[in-house]
Amino acid sequence: MMGFYFSRLVEIYPFFLKGLWMTSKIAFISLVTCTLIGVILGIFRSGNNIILKRIVGVYVAFVRGTPFVVQIFIVFFILPDWGIQLDAFSAALLAMAIMGSGFICEIVAGGIDSISKGQWEAAASSGLTLTQQLRLVIMPQAMKVILPPLVGQYVLLIKDTSVISVIGVMELTRVGWVTVVRIPEGLMVFSLVGVLYFSISYPLILLSNYLERKMAVQ
Amino acid sequence: MIEFKNVNKWFGKLHVLNNINLKIPKGEVLVICGPSGSGKSTLIRCINRLEKIQNGEIIVNNTPVHDKLTNLTKLRAEIGFVFQQFHLYPHMTVLQNVMLAPVNVKKIAKAEAKKIAMEKLEQVGLTEKHGVHPAQLSGGQQQRVAIARGLAMSPEIMLFDEPTSALDPEMIGEVLDVMVNLVSEGMTMCVVTHEMGFARKVANRVLFMDEGAIVETGTPNEFFDNPKTDRAATFISMILTH
Repeated sequence: MMGFYFSRLVEIYPFFLKGLWMTSKIAFISLVTCTLIGVILGIFRSGNNIILKRIVGVYVAFVRGTPFVVQIFIVFFILPDWGIQLDAFSAALLAMAIMGSGFICEIVAGGIDSISKGQWEAAASSGLTLTQQLRLVIMPQAMKVILPPLVGQYVLLIKDTSVISVIGVMELTRVGWVTVVRIPEGLMVFSLVGVLYFSISYPLILLSNYLERKMAVQ
Repeated sequence: MIEFKNVNKWFGKLHVLNNINLKIPKGEVLVICGPSGSGKSTLIRCINRLEKIQNGEIIVNNTPVHDKLTNLTKLRAEIGFVFQQFHLYPHMTVLQNVMLAPVNVKKIAKAEAKKIAMEKLEQVGLTEKHGVHPAQLSGGQQQRVAIARGLAMSPEIMLFDEPTSALDPEMIGEVLDVMVNLVSEGMTMCVVTHEMGFARKVANRVLFMDEGAIVETGTPNEFFDNPKTDRAATFISMILTH
C-alpha cells in the first residue's frame, strides 16, 4: 500500500517543486522588502523624532500583538472593502512585508540603541551629517549586534510563509494540503513538506549560529 | 571669536547655565573649572551645539550657533571637540579615525587626507600606531588619537571636555604635553579641567563655575593664589588636598 502511494508521490513531485519554488520566491522577496522597510523603520524607532518614533511604535505593537493569520485576513479580505483589490500572491507579499518589517524594525532599533551616545556625538562634532553618522559610524558597529538575530528572524519568516496557504497561494504547505486529499498518507506528505522547508532554513540556522559565535569573539 | 550673550539653559527644573556672558578672543587658552554639576561641560558643549540653549545667543566667528538656519556641519568642521571618554570609532583603525571627517566632510581626496592624518598623528607622537584599532591602545594614546582626529579638520577652535579625567595618572602627562604644544601654535582653546599645572603653565584665563553661573574669572596665578570668592577658595583647597 505504502509503495503504491510512494509511486504516486514520485508522480506528483513536480507539483512539490512548484510549491517549493513559490515558497522560495515569496520568502526571498519578503526577506528583501522586510529588511529594507525594517531598517528604515528601525532607524526612525531609535531616532529623536518623537512623532515618528511613536507611530512606528504603534505599528510594531500591532504587528507583534496580533497573529499573522489575522493580518493576512485583514490584507486579503478587508482591504478590498476599502477599494484595495489584491490577488492572493500580492496580498501574501504585502502581509509578509508588514509583519516581517515590524520584527526586523525592533532588531535594528535594538542594535542602534546599543551604540553609545558618545559615538554619535563624536561623529556629529567632526561635522558629519546625520546620514553620514549613521552610515559611517553607527551602522557598521550596530551590524554586529543586528546580524545574528536578523538571520534568526529570516528563518522564522521563511517558516511563517506557510501561513499564506490560508488564502490559497500554491506554496509548499498548500501543496501538502492539496496532495493529502488525493494521497491519504499524511505522515509521508507532510514529512516531505517539512524536509523541503528544512532544506531552505537549515543553511540560515547554521549561518546565524556562525555569526553569533563570530560576533561574540570580536 | 566665541561670544556668549545672556545664555540660559535648563535641564528640566535644573538651571544648568545661568545667564552666561563670556567673550573668548582668538588665540586665548581658557581653562574652565568648578565642582561637578556646575555646568562647565554643558557650557562648552553648547559652543558646537551638542546641547541646545533655551535663550540667549552664542556666536562663533560671526555665526549664531543656535540659529536654525546655521549650517551646523560647516560650523562643527571649524571646532574640534575632545571628549573625556575619547569616543574613537572602534571599528576603524587609528588612521581611518583621523581621516574620516576630512574625507567625508571636507571632501579631501583620500591620498591628501592620509597625508594630513599622518602629519597630525606625528604631532601627537603616534605615527607608528596608525594601522591598529583603538582597543589596542592605552587610554593616553587613545586620547592623543582623539586630539589628532580633531586637528585633522584644521579647526580654529579646540574644545576639551575633561580630557584627562578618565586617564590613569601616568598617562595624564603625555596628553597634557600634546595640548601644551597646541597652545604654542596659537590655537584657541577652551579646556574643562582640574589640572592646575596645565592651567598655570598655559592658560590665559581661568573661569570658575558653580551652580550654572560664572562665579569668578582671573589669570591662573590670581585665581589659584588669591581667589576672590569663598566658593572658589574652598574649591581650590579641595583639589589641592585630594
